Amino acid sequence: MSFFAAFVLSVALPGTEDPEQRAWTIQAERVYTGTGRNLEKGLVVVSAGKISAVTPGAGDDGERPRDRLSVYAVTAGFVDIGVRVTNWYSVEQSKEVTPHLRVADTLDPFALDWDRQLRNGVTTVLVSPADRNVIGGLSVALKTAGPESISARTLRADAVLRGSMGSEPSSGNHPAFGRPTDFYSRRPTTRMGVEWEWRNAFFTAAEKRDTKDAGTATLIAALQGKMPIFIQAWTTQDIRTAVFLREEVESRPEFQGMNTPRFVIDAGAEAWKEPQLLARSKTAVVLPPFPASARTRENSLMAWNVAKVLEDAGVPFALSGHGSGDVSDRLAIQAGYAMAGGIGFESALAAVTSTPAMLIGVDARVGTLEVGKDADLVLWSGEPFQPGTRVVATIVDGVLRYEGWNAVRGAEIAR
Amino acid sequence: MIHNLLAFAAAALPSVAPLAPAATRLASSDAPLAIRARSVWTGTKVLENAIVVVEDGRIRAVGTEVEIPDGAEVLEHEGVLTAGMIALHGTAGAVGETRDSTRPAMPEARMGIPVDGRSADFAPLWNAGITSLLVTPDSSGITSGTTALVRTADGKVLRDPAHLSLVFSNEGLSSNREPTSRSGALALLNELFKKSSGVVADAKSGKLTCLFEVRERDDVLRAIAFAKDRKLSGALHGAWLSGELSEPIRDSGLFVIVPALGVGTPKRALDAVVRLEKDGVVFGFGLDAPWNHPDLLRLSAALCVRAGLDSQAAWRGLTANAAKISGVEARIGRIERGLEADLVLWSGDPLDLATRAEVVITAGKALTVERPNQNGAKESK
Repeated sequence: MSFFAAFVLSVALPGTEDPEQRAWTIQAERVYTGTGRNLEKGLVVVSAGKISAVTPGAGDDGERPRDRLSVYAVTAGFVDIGVRVTNWYSVEQSKEVTPHLRVADTLDPFALDWDRQLRNGVTTVLVSPADRNVIGGLSVALKTAGPESISARTLRADAVLRGSMGSEPSSGNHPAFGRPTDFYSRRPTTRMGVEWEWRNAFFTAAEKRDTKDAGTATLIAALQGKMPIFIQAWTTQDIRTAVFLREEVESRPEFQGMNTPRFVIDAGAEAWKEPQLLARSKTAVVLPPFPASARTRENSLMAWNVAKVLEDAGVPFALSGHGSGDVSDRLAIQAGYAMAGGIGFESALAAVTSTPAMLIGVDARVGTLEVGKDADLVLWSGEPFQPGTRVVATIVDGVLRYEGWNAVRGAEIAR
Repeated sequence: MIHNLLAFAAAALPSVAPLAPAATRLASSDAPLAIRARSVWTGTKVLENAIVVVEDGRIRAVGTEVEIPDGAEVLEHEGVLTAGMIALHGTAGAVGETRDSTRPAMPEARMGIPVDGRSADFAPLWNAGITSLLVTPDSSGITSGTTALVRTADGKVLRDPAHLSLVFSNEGLSSNREPTSRSGALALLNELFKKSSGVVADAKSGKLTCLFEVRERDDVLRAIAFAKDRKLSGALHGAWLSGELSEPIRDSGLFVIVPALGVGTPKRALDAVVRLEKDGVVFGFGLDAPWNHPDLLRLSAALCVRAGLDSQAAWRGLTANAAKISGVEARIGRIERGLEADLVLWSGDPLDLATRAEVVITAGKALTVERPNQNGAKESK
């Protein structure tokens, strides 16, 4: 298959004289739309940065060859909502709870992380603050390529309120025996302390109901379900804590008028231990990459069939690469691992495209290969998610932003 | 002070003999001074075989057809005459007084206060043809105060405050006090700019320009966005690659202070400076005196010329545009009738590093340049 793709692309790929070209005809042996309606030998037509047609057929090779790309398979661009392209400067560690701080204000449009995401077929990401305080702030949904400006790439600002359970928010802290020496002396040092920060923030917001204060206003909006609350919880214990906190908000009278939060468990490695609890509380899960050793962060144990267990229980789930630089954590490979764990191709595709897009509220723009949606496309050398298959090109908003090293014309290989 | 320095200089350095006697007379004379130089770089044009007349500390006339007033001292100079250079970033005269890292925001702190006019930091600058230095506060925190423009001949503060320093680089962040994050820093800056008094109010009303401390290109973008939101003016200092964003910078109306460059500076950074000029951004050069050698200022400009920058554009960055960035373009930075006479007589092309400053004139007072010893300190008798 890769031979096929490389051969045809070598004839058909355009040069780089127009980097902002936004119109293409993509001819593929397989068009996986993510809507259940797939095509064998189909065309995806892109114009003005949007998908303008998805039709069966092979098209006419003689017509406008500059605009034509021929590959084995095409899917929608991936949506990775567990990304941390940020460093420690992305989270304000001097306070435990900073709901109104925007990670978008910390991002670098020139960072090399974006290119790495593109190479792996990821076209939309949700970037969250690092897990060094309890409620880190507002995550941003943005494209991995485009203008050299974070705001111009943004799909949805303030897409998610993001925080963490477990021990990571307290990493680096030490208990204040005697006189505190720095601010690491006063932050939570235990799981109980971390959970208390969440509850305290919620109850204080419910009591104050002061929307002039930016932090309180953000918490209230999140409790009213205007944006989902992503809580990192690697272990069963932390997943349970998050779900119980949500149920507490839903049932306590203090939260009247703000008791409809939408919780999503982020990095829920041990979600396989509590599928019924998650199903009962209608809580979606973002899975971290499969660890080679089964044990992952927070000493949590991730089962190979965790996606399958969640699917069977009816719990919505997304896969993520977690912003890892590790090749084995690439999102396409994660989808393959999840298939090895028992889910089907369509389910795996949804877990890296439409489901994450839906969880962060950008599904009207991205996540499936449909007419009218953003032309965010991944072109494959063979069947997607198989170990021997490569991403040969990635298109974002109709612009060819990545071309695989052996997918370009001979003249460019020589370059 | 000047007279003392002069006496010292004249006694210590007979090696500049052709000019030293003239300078000696000048310092003790109120007579007008006329300098006839092979080449005069005025900051707007180059005049060959031109005359500059100085009287009462100011430039009275510039041109090729200027009449030399009666009784004037006449200096015949075989080299190039320019305005004195202005180094745009440094702590000379206030070393150790620029930082209070315990507090993230000290907008009212003034660098003009601790500057010690008698500091030994200034003589090497002045000897190198740098007649003014922008003394800048430290970057630890979101603002460490305001800058001051200082005259190197006598440490006189020419403009204070000159800018409100605002930090957008990671240098402003800390690991053990607020802010630790870029988002936290922005929140603090937003809070700070709610103030309606003092230097913040002056910055908001346009009375005081700002110095935006940046390092990476994304810092530049954040600073531009902040300046645009609040209609702030000023200069971006510290990003080698800011020239790669020359269009948004030009559109923002902000100036650029190129950080001190060196022989190891990548070509990409030099090309970025060339782009600033091409796209019409006003820029000057920082030095970070006294930590860098004073001649690094000329070297920075010379390296950009080697990368393709027009030499007069480079020189404007050291003089006329540096004055504009410091808000003193009506006083110094060019050789123009009415401006203060801060002048340097160079032995040749000032962007040739083999060229030396032979005479430096501050406010009309001429002083021969001392030859520094190997450590850059003054020679003693």
